[in-house]
Amino acid sequence: MLRGSLALAATRPFVGPHIARAAATTASVWFAQGFVQDEDVALRKAVADYEKASGNKIELSITPFAPERQKIIAALTSGVVPDVMANNPAEILQIYAWQDRWVDVSDIVEPQKAQFSETALVSGQAYNNVTKKVSQYGVPVRAAVVPCHIWRPLVEKAGLKIEDIPKTWDAYFDFFKKVQDNLRKQGERKVYGLGFQVTANGVDPYNLFMAFLLAHGGQDIVTRDGKLHLDDPKVRQAAIKATAYLGGAYRDGYVPPSAINWNDADDNNAFHAKLMVMDVDGTLSTEVAVKEKHPEWYFKDMVTHGIGYPNDNAGKPVPSIVGVTQLMIPKGAKNVPVAKEFIKYFAQPKVVGEFVELGLGRWLPVMPSLAKSPFWQDPKDPHLRGYIQQGLLGPTVPDYYVFNLAMAEVRSQHVWSMAMIDVAKEGVKAEVAIDKAFKRIEEIFSKYKKA
Amino acid sequence: MNGTSVIDVGRPALRRRALSRSLRGGLKGGEYTWAVAFVVPYIAVFLTFVAYPVVYGLWMGSEASLYRELFADPIYQSTVVNTILYLALGVNVKMFLALLLSGFFMRPGWWMKTLLLIFVLPWAVPQISTFISIHWMLNGEWGFLNNVLYALFHIEGPSWLNDRWSALGAVIVSHIWKWTPFWTLILLAGRMAIPLEISDSAKVDGATGMRGFVHITFPLLANLYLICTLLSTIFLLGDFNAVNFVSGGGPANSTHVLATLGIRNAFEIAQPRLGVAAVMSALPLVIPLVIILMRKLRTSEVQI
Repeated sequence: MLRGSLALAATRPFVGPHIARAAATTASVWFAQGFVQDEDVALRKAVADYEKASGNKIELSITPFAPERQKIIAALTSGVVPDVMANNPAEILQIYAWQDRWVDVSDIVEPQKAQFSETALVSGQAYNNVTKKVSQYGVPVRAAVVPCHIWRPLVEKAGLKIEDIPKTWDAYFDFFKKVQDNLRKQGERKVYGLGFQVTANGVDPYNLFMAFLLAHGGQDIVTRDGKLHLDDPKVRQAAIKATAYLGGAYRDGYVPPSAINWNDADDNNAFHAKLMVMDVDGTLSTEVAVKEKHPEWYFKDMVTHGIGYPNDNAGKPVPSIVGVTQLMIPKGAKNVPVAKEFIKYFAQPKVVGEFVELGLGRWLPVMPSLAKSPFWQDPKDPHLRGYIQQGLLGPTVPDYYVFNLAMAEVRSQHVWSMAMIDVAKEGVKAEVAIDKAFKRIEEIFSKYKKA
Repeated sequence: MNGTSVIDVGRPALRRRALSRSLRGGLKGGEYTWAVAFVVPYIAVFLTFVAYPVVYGLWMGSEASLYRELFADPIYQSTVVNTILYLALGVNVKMFLALLLSGFFMRPGWWMKTLLLIFVLPWAVPQISTFISIHWMLNGEWGFLNNVLYALFHIEGPSWLNDRWSALGAVIVSHIWKWTPFWTLILLAGRMAIPLEISDSAKVDGATGMRGFVHITFPLLANLYLICTLLSTIFLLGDFNAVNFVSGGGPANSTHVLATLGIRNAFEIAQPRLGVAAVMSALPLVIPLVIILMRKLRTSEVQI
């Protein structure tokens, strides 16, 4: 304890006000493993820097994404929890806030509130059904959106150019159908135009559907007051159009048949195998995964469409839904003071900025000021500027479960997926599939009525 | 005196001593202490790793509302059908094949031993990697099976895992392929335990070939076969790997069995109690199976 305190005193001038006078002690931190090793290295560095600065000890546990999700739910169920965890799955913040399972972290966020993007900040808030109020339960540390990933050589092989890609929504995706048609004429037997995840596994299909829903005018499906608006004709029409387009593309043979049973990593693998010309997939994992092994792919062959999504069919920009990684402290944590101190340290612009950059930029920073860094503005990098424009500087919205927890269950129950699959595989009309989906959504929302 | 004899006064003490002796199992002093010392770790392990998880699971799945929600879920309904099919076909086809193959492997010769060695390989190799390999082999676009079909016959094979029935079929076949060698070995051991004198005298009486199997071998193996079938049914009810890694429960959650649905509900939907309820709903089948198994084991003991 004495040694830790001395170390703390010695390092204090260098680390500023965020290192409080906490006794040297230990806190446990759980985090999901990165898609590339650099992400884990970046996390370990941030933790080591904190330990050095504070004299405290962090027991860091890095677990692959899917097992970590199980580990977190098991911990929250049993009550044996770590001191700090990141929200994996993202909606877990809202799910367990409802049950009053998190420590309020407003005191950490408040001093640097102005630094965060509004979307990131709001994503860390949730309704607590015990205290009957909305509070800040997460401190944002990184974010992600769902970019479009395109193989330039396949587009060019089809006799077209990346510059030919239209700028409005339906025309944009129709372009890749044309690419497929041209490739088939050249004898390419197994290349598909579109990598739509019309599956009922993982988080990708929900993200894909929601992007299409917003592009077709369904932004108000859930408003910020948490109210559901399935009776809004605009929302219904948007849902029908999204279902018809996504399911129809599969039915018409423009999506790999196996996409109906893909898991979250399968579309990445299929894209790398050049099974499809384009993929709509969250984060830059597709690109950073090959950066070291196939730099020519990263720098030349893969395109992430410049400034994010195409505009909607009327030519207006489409906001991107942002998923935000938040650090949270579960109630029952053994060392809340050190947990808070660690999060406070981690959320500093310098620390969190370095954390996302060392992770190759797979994740975005959550503070607009960090977008100016040479890393994100590197003119030699073909992906990062467009990615940060789409996810941080351009129009963004939080995911809808932030406004109402019921949307988290809509996502995990794969309600949209079932509608897409009904159209894609069973030949059901989009209107009928959406009626069924809306009925299910209403049932789910009825379970989460605020008292 | 109130009419109570000396003997009567001493009776409660005698009874207590008798009870104590009976509880001690006839052990005295230090022997008893040692016995307790040896037993306590086992009791502790049993309470911690058997009793506690079972009671905790029962507690988690104890709310009636969970079962109402579960039974109303269309995915649960198809899951029950899948589980029954998986059990009926997976167990019976596998055990019947194992019975036949155990007879085949009784044949003498070094090549038979070599063949047996190759035959047990699917069981010996790690199951997760093999099930993932099968999943990839059946991929519609670039899977091994469809590539072979195209290379040899110019046939565009179907997407095997895109249809509920072919995906479930793939799961069942994978399970049979994986576990038939194990049960074959068990039944082979059972056949080898049949005394030679019995089969020799049966042959003298003309019971050879199928007649020998029907009248001599099978009656002697029947108990073992039944016990193996019951055990296999219990194992299969809890099987997660084959479904999870071959079909992934898809397409559209149509090939789940109770074990995989439980995991989905607990961790993907983040409703652990609903997950436990899905698994607990198999108890009406598991408990009778365990009771029958215990009774059969007792019967076997008597026969020996």
